[in-house]
This record gives sequence, structure tokens and C-alpha cells, in this order.
Amino acid sequence: MGDLRLEGLALGYGPEAVVRDLTLSVADGEMMSLLGPSGAGKTTILRAVAGFIRPRAGRVLIDGRPVDDLPPERRAVVMVFQKALLFPFLDVAGNIGFGLKMQGLDPGEIRRRVDAIMDLTGLAGLGRRKVHEISGGQQQRAALARALVLQPAVLLLDEPLSSLDANLRQQMREFIQQIQAETRVTTLFVTHDQGEALMMSHRVSLLLGGRLRQTGTPRQLFYRPADPDVARFFGGENFFDGRMENGLLKTAFGDFPAPDTENNGRRPLATIRPEDVRLAPEAGNGSVMGEVTQTRFEGMATRIWIRCDGGLVVALTPESRWTAGQRLAVVFPPDKVRVFPA
Amino acid sequence: MTRWRPKALAAGIILSVAVPFLPLVLWSLSERWFFPGLWPQQWGLRAWQHLLDAAGGQIASGLAHSTALAAATAAVSLVVGVPAGRALGLYAFRGKALAVLLVVLPLIVPPLSVAMGLHLWFIRLGLAETFAGVVLVHLTVCLPYTVFVMWGVFANYDPDFEAQARCLGASALAVAWRVTLPLVWPGILVAGLFSFLLSWSQYLSTLIIGGGRVLTLPILLFALMGSGDRPVAAAVSLVFVAPALLVLLVSARHLGRGGLMGVR
Amino acid sequence: MVSGQIGGRDARTRAARWDLCLAGLLAPALAVMLLLFGGGLTLGGLQALGYLPGAGMTELTAAHFTRVLQDPDFLTSLGLTLHIALTSTVIAAVVSVALALALTRWSIRSRLVHFVLQVPLTVPHLVVAVSMLFLLAPAGLAARLAAALGLIASPGEFPLLVNDRGSIGILLVYIWKEIPFIALMVLSVLQNAGGELIEVGRTLKAGPWQRFRFILLPVIAPSLAAACLIVFAFTFGAFEVPWLLGRTYPMSLPVRGYKSYADVDLAARPEGIAIGLIIALVVMGAVALAVWLNRLAGSREAIR
Repeated sequence: MGDLRLEGLALGYGPEAVVRDLTLSVADGEMMSLLGPSGAGKTTILRAVAGFIRPRAGRVLIDGRPVDDLPPERRAVVMVFQKALLFPFLDVAGNIGFGLKMQGLDPGEIRRRVDAIMDLTGLAGLGRRKVHEISGGQQQRAALARALVLQPAVLLLDEPLSSLDANLRQQMREFIQQIQAETRVTTLFVTHDQGEALMMSHRVSLLLGGRLRQTGTPRQLFYRPADPDVARFFGGENFFDGRMENGLLKTAFGDFPAPDTENNGRRPLATIRPEDVRLAPEAGNGSVMGEVTQTRFEGMATRIWIRCDGGLVVALTPESRWTAGQRLAVVFPPDKVRVFPA
Repeated sequence: MTRWRPKALAAGIILSVAVPFLPLVLWSLSERWFFPGLWPQQWGLRAWQHLLDAAGGQIASGLAHSTALAAATAAVSLVVGVPAGRALGLYAFRGKALAVLLVVLPLIVPPLSVAMGLHLWFIRLGLAETFAGVVLVHLTVCLPYTVFVMWGVFANYDPDFEAQARCLGASALAVAWRVTLPLVWPGILVAGLFSFLLSWSQYLSTLIIGGGRVLTLPILLFALMGSGDRPVAAAVSLVFVAPALLVLLVSARHLGRGGLMGVR
Repeated sequence: MVSGQIGGRDARTRAARWDLCLAGLLAPALAVMLLLFGGGLTLGGLQALGYLPGAGMTELTAAHFTRVLQDPDFLTSLGLTLHIALTSTVIAAVVSVALALALTRWSIRSRLVHFVLQVPLTVPHLVVAVSMLFLLAPAGLAARLAAALGLIASPGEFPLLVNDRGSIGILLVYIWKEIPFIALMVLSVLQNAGGELIEVGRTLKAGPWQRFRFILLPVIAPSLAAACLIVFAFTFGAFEVPWLLGRTYPMSLPVRGYKSYADVDLAARPEGIAIGLIIALVVMGAVALAVWLNRLAGSREAIR
């Protein structure tokens, strides 16, 4: 068990830095997701923590001790790669016991620990199988078991679910979450899938363009995005500005309290999630009128584009009665509007 | 890691490969070269001159024979071997293991065992001491390699490309010519080169079936070694290596990363 | 039902057409191999068993084989041939693995180096043998270099490296030729799979030696074994190099076989063919042994 701290990390392969000035802490027993679009440098960070890349600046600390001079094989972290990368020349048990064998444990002890971890990961009875004889989900579980059996201080997971199909993916998410809860192993989990990150982790850290933009609980990132980019990453589409007057943001869609934002006369940006926009056939209190320009049925909800005087508004509603050309009233409930700190 | 070690390794590789060429080049350019001399006492082009005039006819015809034989063998190997490679690479079928055995065994059984057995039969068929007979015996060496290479190529080949082309309105012939061929072309190039080089360096099977009538370069070179004229033997050796090296040089860029891997 | 029948017939015709198509693809190659390779070995076998209708001999007899096998020199020849084939294969394999590891380890991607590494593949064995003769013979380039350095005074003092007892000249030719062959096979495996699995090994706490022993070696083992088998088979059955660089006694098996075959005494011909077949049998036996050992290793793995 252990905690992980990255301090002012700068990483890169060529002349250009991929990741700049990255500081991040993962507490003992915590499940932290490193979320970001592909190419954001997530894997690079994991590889630096695992010891495959030397940072250009900054430090990696495990349990408070810097590990930058240690090669991967001497760090108390184990990385699980995107592909299962099971050794094709070993059977499932041989793969899971590989790390223990490298530590020189005696075969009886290895077998005991391997059996225990196979029970935990639902692989019991598959030990003698060849790695290509088990399913994709089982392969990923074996890769996870192979890492867990070493009881690392920190477990690094590099999109281990991205090669699985949707159904299996969902099962594996729950499975990893459950295993993590049981073993309480400190975990840094890399993913580009926001749903995955929000669902699985205690805290999420969003990486955009090589920088950490926000770290917090899933709810904080989703409902209190730190800036418009973060909001956009989580599906924010409605951005509008207004003028600050006495703690109120005055906009074309109404006045919204913005206690965090001071400075009268400044023009900060605000956002509201499409599903929080309320629609009504008639004008009412605090509503503005608009005209539906386009609708798109998405199954559980319908996405509606509405032209208002203040600009285009996108709403997501379970109702499917709206059609293009219709006039309607749009309401932004004040408690759902997020005013970005300027 | 200091950078001198990789450089030393690279230099070592280049040097080790170059060493055998040194005596050949030196001797082919020597006129008089008695023992303790590290360099020829007298340099000269006698050996090369000799190749061009006196023995010229013979060497030129040897070169022509070797080239024609290797080219014919490679061509037949490809025509026969590419379809077989496709069958092995793309499809599972009953008796595949047997087919594979029939292809793999000749890779390891030396040509001398086969050539000796074929000789008497070829005499009866009138194939002994003929160009065609020698092509056939070389085929036992080259065809397995061609099938083997094309097997590997087709194992990594997606036949859906062909289905897609058919959907887009291409005829079967157009698919073969404009889709399949370009896709497997690097493999065909490698397989053809394999066959060419293997046939090019055959000695004993040519001698047994050709019976001294099909005079390829290796047969001439052996005769020269017997005569003891070192400068001429060295020159012929270099002539013998040149085309293959040339082919490698020209094709290096087309061969991809695997290069000539697997050539013997 | 109706559609089922149509479907059934349709499927059957399609399957038949399919078989025909597959046969069309395979038949030419299989026919060539069966006729030329299988035929060569079978006819060779018949001749070695004394069946030569042209010479009026139609009785099958094992006499030629027994005469070959009972010749006391046969074992000496077999020993020499095994020595040549095994020694060159083992040395070439060890050097090749080291070379391939070094090339990947230091990620040497220079086009020049990779091109140069392919050069020996294109050089016929015969040429290398000729060059080795010029290089290592008592008055060869190496001896001249030794003389220039004052190590020897006359050609006679130079150690015998060609037509010698230890077959050093022959071994050097084979090693020079086969190292690139094996190294390139190993290299392609390492470049395809080695890197990722090595990283897995590192994160699972395997040290440098453990990574070599427990990851790289198992990864390259199949191609290395295949390459070694091919090299062994070739060096065991090749004629040119021992003919040029070997001694007159003992002779390697292929040289012996050809000499008997080409003997002015036609009666020796079946013995030559018998030797050729024995060579083929040894080589096929080696492959069978390798396959069997591999199975054995696999099953032992399963029992453990």
C-alpha cells in the first residue's frame, strides 16, 4: 500500500514536451482516473511513473520517497498495459506467477498466491490454459491478476478495457472497481472515456493539451467544471457571457448569482448543461422565447437546437414533442448555471 | 550507455562482412604475387582481360547460362508456388498437414540426395544434360522456398480487399491484376529473389543432372580452382557474386524491413 | 423445405466448386514436389536397393546399404560431418542471438548495417569457400599478414586452417554465411514482439538476466530452433565447401556420396545414392527429434 505523488513533472520524447508542469497526488488506497483525449499524454505519464521514461524535470515520489533513479524493475509500481500482453509461451498460471518467480519465491508459495489471486479475479480453474485459449476479458483479468499478485504500492492501468467490446467493458469496469475496493491498492487509471472515469474512480484528473486542467471528484468535474474546456470535454455546449453587477451575472437568458466571481463590470463566461435547460410551450417567469431550428432523436433523449435572441441554445430533453419551426420558451434554472471564475 | 559500443558493433559487422571480399579483389588485380608480399609485387588486369578474351566466350556463356537458369527457375517457381502459398495461407482444409510436410521436407533434405535419384530417370526421359532438366532439379530446391514465403505473405493477407473490389465493380481478372498483385507484390519480389539466388548458387545438382554440359558459373569456377589460376578464379568469383549483390542493392528499398530474411 | 433444398444444392455445388478451386491452387506445386522430390527420393531408394533394370539388376537387396554402413570409414565420415554441422550451427546460433540482441538493445537501425548484414545471404557458399582458401591457405593473405608482422618466416610455419584436421576453414565459411541468416530471423521476432514483452517483464520486476532467460529466450526459441534446423540440415548435406576446404581423408558424407556416385566403377553408384539417402534420413531424423523434444517440453510444462 502506498501513495503516489508527481511533482512538477515535464515529459517528452522529442524536442517538444508532451506534458508540462504536472503535479498530482494519489492517496493511499485511492482510485484516481487520469482522463483525457487520445494524444493528451496520459500514457506518457504512466510510463514515467512506471520508470520507462525519465522525466525532463520534476520528481516521482512513492510513499514519499523519490524513485527517479530506480529502473522499472525496482519500483514498487506495476503497470498493466492496454493490450493484455500475456506471455504466449506460458500458461495462465505461469503468467500470473511470473513476477513471484522473478522474486525467487519457492514454487509452493507461488502456487498458493497464484491460486488465491485467481479466485479473487474469477479465473479459478483456468490456470493450465494456454493464453490464447481464454477469452479477451479473461486475458485482461489475467493481466490484472499478474500485476495484483505482486501487491504493488501503486497499480497503473493504461486503458486496459479499450480492446474489449461494449458489454464486456461494462462488466470489467465493475470488476476492476470491486477488486480495487477489496484490495485497496492505490490505483492510477488512464482512460479517454469520461463515463468510465466518472463511474469508476474516487477522483478524476483531466488532462488537456499536456496540462492537468482540473482534479476533483467526478461530480465536481461534471457539475463544477473549472473552465470552458473542461465543460466542453464533458459535453457542455451552451456558453454565454454577461456582465457582473453586485454578485449577479446579467445575461440575455436572465440574471444568475455568481458568488465566486467579483469585480463589477467584468464579462465572465457561463454555461449550462443541455439536459438542465428547461423547455415550455408558453412564456413564463424568467423565460426567453426561441425557435426550434433542428431536432435529433437520440433514444433516451432528444437533442434540440433553439435560436434565441441571446444565441443558439442546445437542450436535451426526454420529451419528443418538439419539431423544427416551433416557438417555445427556454428557462435556465439559476442553480444549474455555472459561472466560470474569470 | 556510452555511444561507442553501438558504433563499434556496426563497424565490426561491416568489417567482418567485407573480409572475404578482400583476397578476391586483391588476387583478381594481381599479376605477380609471391609469398611474403602483403601486396602483389605487380598489379595488373590480366585476370580480367582473360575473362574478356581467351576464356571470355566461356565465362560469358556461363554467365548467360546461370542467369537464364536462375530466371527460368524463379519464374516457374512463382507461377507454381504463388497459388499454393495462397491456398496454404488463406484456407484450412483436410490434408493440409500432408501438403505442408511435402513443402517443408524439401527445405531441409539436401539437393544431392534428390539429384542422384533423379539422374537415371532424367537420362531415360532425355532430360539429363539439358537446360530443362536442370531447371527441374533446381525447382526441387526453389519451389519450397517460394511456397513458404508466399504462405507467410497470404497468412497476413485479407481477402476482403478482393470482395470489396468485386463490390465496386471490378472483374475477377481486374481484381487479380489491380488488387491482389499490388498487395502481395513485395512478397512476390522476395520469393522471386529467393528462387533466383538459390538456383544461381546451385553446384552439385547442376553437375549431376547437367553432366558437365550445362556450364553455369559455379561449374566453371570449380574447374578454375582445379587449374590453380588464382587471379582468374578470384575474378570469376567476383563476377559470380556481382549480380546477386546488384539485385540486393536495387531491391533493398522495395523489400521492406524483413529484407532478404530467409535466403540461403 | 423448398428453399432449404435449393439452398442445400446450392451449397453443395458451391462446396464442390470450392474444392476444385483449392485443388487448382495446390495441385501444380504438390505435383511438382511429389514427382521431382518424392520421385527423386523413391527412385534413389530403388537404385540404392539394387533395382537397376537398365543394367539387368531387378533383385532388391540391402547389400549396398550394408556395405556402406559396415565400412569402418563410414563412422569417421559421419563423425566429421556431424562435427562440421553441429559446431557451425551452435557457434552461428550463439553469435546470432548476441548480435540480434545487441542490435535491438542499442536500437541500431542504420540502413547501411542492415544492408551489409544481408550481403552474406546473397554470396554463394562456393565463393566464400574460394575466398577462405585465398585467405587461410599456407600462402594465403592471413599467412602473408603473419609474415609481415614477423610471426612466421615461411608458409610452412603458418597453422593449417584449410584442408585441416579441425575443419576450421569449413566452419568459418559456414559461420560467416549462417550468422546473418539466423540473426535476421531472430531479429524480426525481437522487433515484432520483444520490446513490449520486455517492458511487461520489467514492470513485473524481472532483472536483466531474468528478462533474457524467461522472456527473450522463450520468445525467440521457435524461430531460432527453426533457423538452426535449417542451418544444420544444410551444413550436414552440402558438398561444395568440404570438397574445396576439406581433407582427402576423412571425407564428409556428401563428398563421399558424390565420389562414390561419380566413380568410374558404375557398381559404386548405388552406394553413393545410399549415402545420399542416409544423409537425407539423418536430416529428417534431426527434424523429427526436434519436433518430439518440443512436444515433450510442452507436455512437461503442462504437468508442472
